[in-house]
Amino acid sequence: MTFEQSDLQKLVEEIIELLQRYRDDPGALEVIFSELRAMFQRIPIYSGIIASLLPMVVQPVTAEQLKDGSEITVVLKDDRTFIGKVAHTTPNEIKLVECKQFEQPKLCGELSLPTGEIREIRLLTRGVLDKKRPTPKPRK
Amino acid sequence: MPELELKRGDVVKLEGMLSLHVKDGKVSISGGLHEKGNKLVVPRAKSLPLEAETDAVIEYTLGESGSVERLPGRTISREWDELVADILREKPRLVMVIGNVDVGKTFFTTYVANTLLKHGVRVAALDGDVGQSDIGPPSTMGIGIFERPVGILHEVPTLAAYFVGSMSPSNHMLEFIAGMKKLVELGLKEADVVIVNTPGWISGGPGRALQLYVMELLNPDLLVALQRGRELEHLLISVPHVKVRRISVYQKVRSRSTAERTLLRWLALARYFEGSSRITLDLRKVRLGRCYYHTGEPIDPKTLDVQAPIIYTEKLPEGLLIVTEGKLDQKIMQELEAKFGGVKVVARGSEQNVLVGLMDNADVLLSIGIIDGIDYARERMAVITPVKNGGKIAAVQFGSMRIKPTGEEIGTIKPGTF
Repeated sequence: MTFEQSDLQKLVEEIIELLQRYRDDPGALEVIFSELRAMFQRIPIYSGIIASLLPMVVQPVTAEQLKDGSEITVVLKDDRTFIGKVAHTTPNEIKLVECKQFEQPKLCGELSLPTGEIREIRLLTRGVLDKKRPTPKPRK
Repeated sequence: MPELELKRGDVVKLEGMLSLHVKDGKVSISGGLHEKGNKLVVPRAKSLPLEAETDAVIEYTLGESGSVERLPGRTISREWDELVADILREKPRLVMVIGNVDVGKTFFTTYVANTLLKHGVRVAALDGDVGQSDIGPPSTMGIGIFERPVGILHEVPTLAAYFVGSMSPSNHMLEFIAGMKKLVELGLKEADVVIVNTPGWISGGPGRALQLYVMELLNPDLLVALQRGRELEHLLISVPHVKVRRISVYQKVRSRSTAERTLLRWLALARYFEGSSRITLDLRKVRLGRCYYHTGEPIDPKTLDVQAPIIYTEKLPEGLLIVTEGKLDQKIMQELEAKFGGVKVVARGSEQNVLVGLMDNADVLLSIGIIDGIDYARERMAVITPVKNGGKIAAVQFGSMRIKPTGEEIGTIKPGTF
């Protein structure tokens, strides 16, 4: 065993953790991705700094802590999610402006898609490490 | 001009900016002996202790935020002088100073070197703090000989410097370690004692690795651990082969914020590039280092047989290096990857403002520079540098910072981009 000689592992772990934590919140993921890209473009050699700053992009807050003008995402009890800026808050509601709603994934079982409506098809490969870089097994 | 009469043993704090003239007697400043007639300037944001070695009179002129304040007694611990006495007795050749950021490693190095000089020892100091480099420009580490006592390490003339490529050893650990070794070897040829001032990166995997491998490689005769509490013990536990001295921190050390450090670097770089000019280097005559570019076999972009704005191509063991005028289409990229393996794409213009080291024929750092553009077709590189005679430049090493000639840090680039 030796020391980590780069903070890159820390950054990858941080990204995995954030993807896991905010998988139900496309608005938060969009901002995390945008901040990650911006930081990496500016300071690609300081992955430790990026790893320490990335969790600060999205922070849970209560309605009482909100300030007018803050950018927030909101996840409702029925799983609908929104991103927008706080116009004002009252004890009973939060009014958002510049607001966007994200559709939540739905189970749809069987589906027929007309090929004429398709823009792009993407092939997914799970277990890519073993498929592309298989570990040789010793012969018995 | 105000005067201050001092009795032997009196202690005064000098806060820059101020200029000082020893009118009579002898005083020590940062451990260095200054006699009647000596003059010294304390820069802004620096604070130095003065001790009267005899009854003395000093004259001074205060600048912005400068002050002279009598202190009730010595602020420097006696153990610092005991350490100097031990160095004089035991004669270690290589002394390495480790400590966290803002514990005063640079002041400690200056004090010990000045005090040894007072005893006739020829001392070299290696400044490994690449961000706040006092010897050599920022992004380098430098070594200098104490020819005379100095107030601050910055006054020591640079004997040689090594280009690390960034303001931190992070992502440049190999350059850092190679530079340390080269400069220590030079220092040991030129001086009786070499004091190595190391960066304050002491924890985390990369910090531990850097400190321990530097210690292992340099194998110092004496390791000075400058610590407030026990913050270096995790490193010291791994180094039983060298003599370790634990020294307490000078109480008056001022800590600097990240913003203050960045601003100081900005000012240091601005001063460095002041009066620089733009020179053009012929890349057919100049060696390029720490990059993929110009290390392979150039091929005509037309032979790639793709419809893409490719202006320069090289074949490398890793695949292909191509320089493009704009973005490369994903399909063309896939096509090239299938044909050549890895494809490294450099967008024309991305070299702008990249920090480089400029070396002479013997690979000695002449200066740092800023790329102002590469003409890939004509193989010319324009560089902004204080070097007046471009003919001396025999090699260019790529760094990983982007800097404006005004000293502003614009960002970093991924090592291996070029």
